[in-house]
Amino acid sequence: MLRRFEIYTMSEGAAAEKERALESAFRRCGDFIPEMLHSVVGKNLSDARVQMVWEHAYESPEAYQRYMVHPFHANILDRYLLNDCPERIVADSPLGDGTLVGYSCEGPVYFMDHGLRKVVLFGLEGTAEQQGSFVEALRGLATIQDGVTLSVVEPNTFGVAWFDGVTPILPPSQWTHIWELGFSSAETYDAYQQGDSPLARAEASGWKEDGCDAVRQAVELHYTVNL
Amino acid sequence: MAYVVDTAHVDPVDAQEYMRIVETEAVPVMTAAGAGFVSCWGTSPELGEEVWIETVWSFADHSEWNQIRKNMVLDPRWYQYSEKTARLRTGGTRRFFYAAPFSPLA
Repeated sequence: MLRRFEIYTMSEGAAAEKERALESAFRRCGDFIPEMLHSVVGKNLSDARVQMVWEHAYESPEAYQRYMVHPFHANILDRYLLNDCPERIVADSPLGDGTLVGYSCEGPVYFMDHGLRKVVLFGLEGTAEQQGSFVEALRGLATIQDGVTLSVVEPNTFGVAWFDGVTPILPPSQWTHIWELGFSSAETYDAYQQGDSPLARAEASGWKEDGCDAVRQAVELHYTVNL
Repeated sequence: MAYVVDTAHVDPVDAQEYMRIVETEAVPVMTAAGAGFVSCWGTSPELGEEVWIETVWSFADHSEWNQIRKNMVLDPRWYQYSEKTARLRTGGTRRFFYAAPFSPLA
């Protein structure tokens, strides 16, 4: 499967009705393009300067490519997004090439039908061993933390391969990895964030604690999921 | 054949500059990307109202548009002229049109 996130910052002065139209277009996309799976439009609740997250997935690169050539994509979604469109309402992203990220997976490991989604984009560096041990610590969170229903960490392979979903056409992204978690509720999310688990403390410190040497940069988003 | 029709609303004093950017920057980028340049029209700037400038690009089908879209977004010049035209626009629309079978321009 291909897991995909589009992450948007709205232009200053973007009309609220146009924002609602974009959100509605994301929500209705699956009605027109059935290949698109598990679509959620989230309003980011973190301090990061992004407002809208659209998460979804495709069964295969072929399914993704049918989305790419579908008239709904060009006619409706691009209307609000492409730089040259008179109706564009999004701004150049403070995340740079973090506007579009994603990864490949064997199945819907990300799936949750309700709760709170936390997404952290990481730019990792350092040795493979440093990165590997850090990633394993992130992956293990769901097994040790109450209220965490899933914890997936994968390399961001999609951002540079957006045309067909698999073939890189851009230089490597500054965001090397995606960490996405599911929390059973906003309360369990808050309890984790304010708790004293090693990862929560590391995040609160700006990923400066021991074991986080691989973290060059990180940005956190979270939003409600209600399918 | 299908058509992308961009209608830009601009202040009359900016109409000439908007068209200049379309001619000198947008047309080279879009045609290099694979789009056909069909037309650029403007309403009169002498009527005391906003000028509407309509630019029309053509493409064979949505598979071809997908390739054109890829080529244009990978071209740094597309971002440059898009920023310039956005600064001049006060509003507008983009719509895709598909010719009626009896249309002379099909």
